[in-house]
Amino acid sequence: MSSADFLYPMIEGDETDAASLLADLERSADAKATTSAALTAATLDQVDRQLEEVAAEMARRFAAGGRLFTCGNGGSATDAAGVAALFTYPPHGDPLPARSLVSDESILTALSNDIGFEVVFSRQLIAHARAGDMVMGFSTSGNSPNVIKAFEEAARREVLTIGLAGYEGGAMAACDALVHCIVVRSDSVHRIQEAQSATAYRLWERVQSRLPAEVMA
Amino acid sequence: MTMPQSGAAAGALGPLARDLAAASLAMARRFSAGATMWCCSPTWPHHARHVAVEFVHPVIVGKRALPALMVAGPDVVESLRVSVRPGDIVLAVAGAEDPSVAEAMRRAHAWGVETIWIGVGPRPGAGVAHHVLWLPESEALAPYDGRFILLYHLLWELTHVCFEHPGLLKVDDPVCEGEVCITCSDEGRVGEVIAVRDDGDALVRTSDGRETVDTTLVGPVGRNDLVLIHAGSAISRLAPEVSQAVGP
Repeated sequence: MSSADFLYPMIEGDETDAASLLADLERSADAKATTSAALTAATLDQVDRQLEEVAAEMARRFAAGGRLFTCGNGGSATDAAGVAALFTYPPHGDPLPARSLVSDESILTALSNDIGFEVVFSRQLIAHARAGDMVMGFSTSGNSPNVIKAFEEAARREVLTIGLAGYEGGAMAACDALVHCIVVRSDSVHRIQEAQSATAYRLWERVQSRLPAEVMA
Repeated sequence: MTMPQSGAAAGALGPLARDLAAASLAMARRFSAGATMWCCSPTWPHHARHVAVEFVHPVIVGKRALPALMVAGPDVVESLRVSVRPGDIVLAVAGAEDPSVAEAMRRAHAWGVETIWIGVGPRPGAGVAHHVLWLPESEALAPYDGRFILLYHLLWELTHVCFEHPGLLKVDDPVCEGEVCITCSDEGRVGEVIAVRDDGDALVRTSDGRETVDTTLVGPVGRNDLVLIHAGSAISRLAPEVSQAVGP
């Protein structure tokens, strides 16, 4: 203690506490990042064959003129928008037609107001989807009713259904209309979203690598 | 195939962990003082939306909802200029080369906002933002592979940890003593011109509010020009700069 410290006990105390809090935050950030990276690596390993199968089917459909629709709620809505952007404006490779069903507030509010929030994605598929198209739904719980409803509508229209879920897959795992249910096995919404994003990115890479052969076929 | 390598997989955030911790405490302090957080990402708008929904509607029940918004529209700088108040937070997710984000950051001192810039690749120049949270250049595909999402998830998680330490969230305002104030008379402060009067004086916006300054020393100024103010006078202009990214 310096000679003046008795004048400002609170300042000294606060500085020490902040330093210890900051050290805790650092450790916490590192630990969570480690968990995230481990979950992502484990997921990519577990779903490797599944992604091969989905990518092959998606590449065939894109080559034949199919389009991708994405959907989800909250953070999953933004992830769905990110995946649509990745396919449409890729950092490299071929741009492919993809659209997020959460991007238009007039359509979302019209459907919610007039019918209900459960139909915000399925009704858009009724308007837009054709046989040969694809729909990819994101839900960390796997339970989002509007995403499940979108799969059911898609199945009636020969639209390929791809779901990204967390936990044990939730309602998605039990949904007959969902052909490909890709599960990130975790109970942390944040870690699930991080691994889902990496999974969707890996899927996009594989679609890109298969595309040239499909286009020439 | 360029997927996450074990650098990130080992959880070694390296210096980024310290940057995240400092940014989170700063954010918690600003939020507890009443800040709104303005999120922008001109190239990847979904990231700005994700940050906003994360803070407004927490995934963990019981955590407080915090005011965060996505800044949309064709001109980020115009939107921010009209929206932000001193004490607010501006968070950007963008590459260092993004001209509108760089321009917004340049005006942060005049607006009185705390800035957080999340990105990847070449880093923005030193001191461009209060908190630069940057992924290494080798991970140039990060905007899509989940690690940007990890960064702002961590910001949210750590900010809420800080709320459990209310004693550390108070920040004393510097005491201003008018004519002899060290803060106001020894240092230049950045101001953004709001309007110019016929006599050459200009109404400017600074982190302390609005004030009228003499512009004799710098010559004619225009709306939105940035000037350095000292003792009631504009003493120099902050010339528009081309944003220059520097190597990692």
